[in-house]
Amino acid sequence: MPGPDKETDLTERIEAFLSDLKRGGSGTGPLRGSAETARETTALLRRITAQARWSSAGDLMEIIRKEGRRMTAAQRVLKIIREEYARSRGSSEEADQQESLHKLLTSGGLSEENFRQHFAALKANVIEAINELLTELEGTTDNIAMQALEHIHSNEVIMTIGRSRTVEAFLKDAARKRKFHVIVAECAPFCQGHEMATSLSKAGIETTVIADAAIFAVMSRVNKVIIGTQTVLANGGLRAVNGTHTLALAAKHHSTPLIVCAPMFKLSPQFPNEEDTFHKFVSPHEVLPFTEGEILSKVNVHCPVFDYVPPELITLFISNIGGHAPSYIYRLMSELYHPEDHEL
Amino acid sequence: MVLPEDELVEYFRAQMRKDPDMASAVAAIRTLLEFLKRDKGETILGLRENLTWATDCLTGVDSSVAVSSGGELFLRFISLTSLEHQDLSRCKKVMEERGELFLEKISMSRTKVAKLCHTFIKDGAKILTHSYSRVVLRVLEKAAAEKKRFSVYVTESQPDSAGRQMAEALRKLNVPVTVVLDAAVGYVLEKVDLVIVGAEGVVESGGIINKIGTYQMAVCSKAHNKPFYVVAESFKFVRLYPLNQQDVPDKFKYKADTLKTVQNLSEEHPIIDYTPPSLITLLFTDLGVLTPSAVSDELIKLYL
Repeated sequence: MPGPDKETDLTERIEAFLSDLKRGGSGTGPLRGSAETARETTALLRRITAQARWSSAGDLMEIIRKEGRRMTAAQRVLKIIREEYARSRGSSEEADQQESLHKLLTSGGLSEENFRQHFAALKANVIEAINELLTELEGTTDNIAMQALEHIHSNEVIMTIGRSRTVEAFLKDAARKRKFHVIVAECAPFCQGHEMATSLSKAGIETTVIADAAIFAVMSRVNKVIIGTQTVLANGGLRAVNGTHTLALAAKHHSTPLIVCAPMFKLSPQFPNEEDTFHKFVSPHEVLPFTEGEILSKVNVHCPVFDYVPPELITLFISNIGGHAPSYIYRLMSELYHPEDHEL
Repeated sequence: MVLPEDELVEYFRAQMRKDPDMASAVAAIRTLLEFLKRDKGETILGLRENLTWATDCLTGVDSSVAVSSGGELFLRFISLTSLEHQDLSRCKKVMEERGELFLEKISMSRTKVAKLCHTFIKDGAKILTHSYSRVVLRVLEKAAAEKKRFSVYVTESQPDSAGRQMAEALRKLNVPVTVVLDAAVGYVLEKVDLVIVGAEGVVESGGIINKIGTYQMAVCSKAHNKPFYVVAESFKFVRLYPLNQQDVPDKFKYKADTLKTVQNLSEEHPIIDYTPPSLITLLFTDLGVLTPSAVSDELIKLYL
């Protein structure tokens, strides 16, 4: 029977995808681009929507919530479902929006939104909206790159760290019309800065690679710092590749503007409550190889992958919908996510 | 007036006595709801006038910011409802229903805040707090219930030594607590991991009005780079925009009896101060975790 087969196939795919996600970021293979991950996640969720058995929006949300515990993109899909449901019910989206003092005063009952009603068109609508999301995801890098010319001027010295595809596209786009110089911090221990530098110089940009320790020394000659990030947190802070906090502090000290290029799908409703515990650590053999056996028994070696950068150090966020101040992030968050989905 | 002034005040005081854990703003709203039920006015305008008069009476008893903001919110709620129904008696019925609902919702707000905030308290954390705040107490209760180990420093908070009351309540929860002098805040901050305070009122700029000594604590925590968190329910949002300490109206700064009896206010000590938003890291409210810049957005949504 096609029914149960499809379901087992689906569960298998989900399992495979999740284990891949877990392994993918662990540094053994090349670090997965987050754009790819987001795209694949959304495609998977679309498949779930299409195939899994559900008869009402409530069921669908339950399923997605269950599967999406570890995937942030699920929250955006949940938001889409709510919107579509509201639209099909005929009420305005505004009415369903998050709590506000106004709602506190005028709503008719303790609102436990009841999504039980069944709408045939809902499925098609949701799938359409997810497709829109996918197209948006695919176009983000280009959207950001288009804004490059406004921010980079001729004869400027730009500093960046590690390797970010978004920043790469950003700089390459500006290079078509302007002449400027880029300094790349290599970002040990994976030294992704080297690849970035190679790729930039192939595009004809004058590039210099420096060691992370030289960041502060060189900062006085830099006009702007442009970086990418892994995630943008709800308070406007960043979770970026390690070494970024150092870069941000050096930039603050020299009053150099720090620009972060981050597409909208990197926004997360999490707050940095446990700053030391959301780290991911990888095998420390990059820092201290196993051959140094004698030292290993006496020393603790850590190799954190991410850094937290507080919002006060950031000047501007450039995303596919334009430039924003860090204090504006909460607003974007409310547009993208529904507060009930914050705890997945 | 159907409810004469002393009866109104007596009802308010009785509410506060009945449940000492209730916020004064909630008691005020309850009183106003009762007033609404007994009011025999014929027009909406008359009703509003009576309610404004009643709110003034209540602020005369307890001059805290919270009572004033609660009263204003209730008044706003009345005007919103009155726009929807033309017929007065139907209107009143709907108002009463909604009023009860409103009270129910805000009585749950403290639980919501506690749920949001307790995750920010790490195991082994040292917390500094100021004076006696029921919301902060609820947050710490929740964190203790989640089996987190933490210790608390409370400032004594003169002139009414409310800090000691807080310390007592915390000892009952088996939380290690130390009472420190108000002047010792700077001294103790190096040992502390985070600062959590309540608020009597949250102003439009995202700053807060709270017991005197809060501003000092905020400045010191900024200097030491410690996070300064504020926990407040949403009905404390108030339509004020003070730019400095002087801008806070006198009627909030001093206790109600002081305002009535004393001739020269400049010789009195204020009991509250204003903390600007630049010193606050995050605000935890029942509307969610907000950055200070998000507060004005929320206020606009209310008064739209």
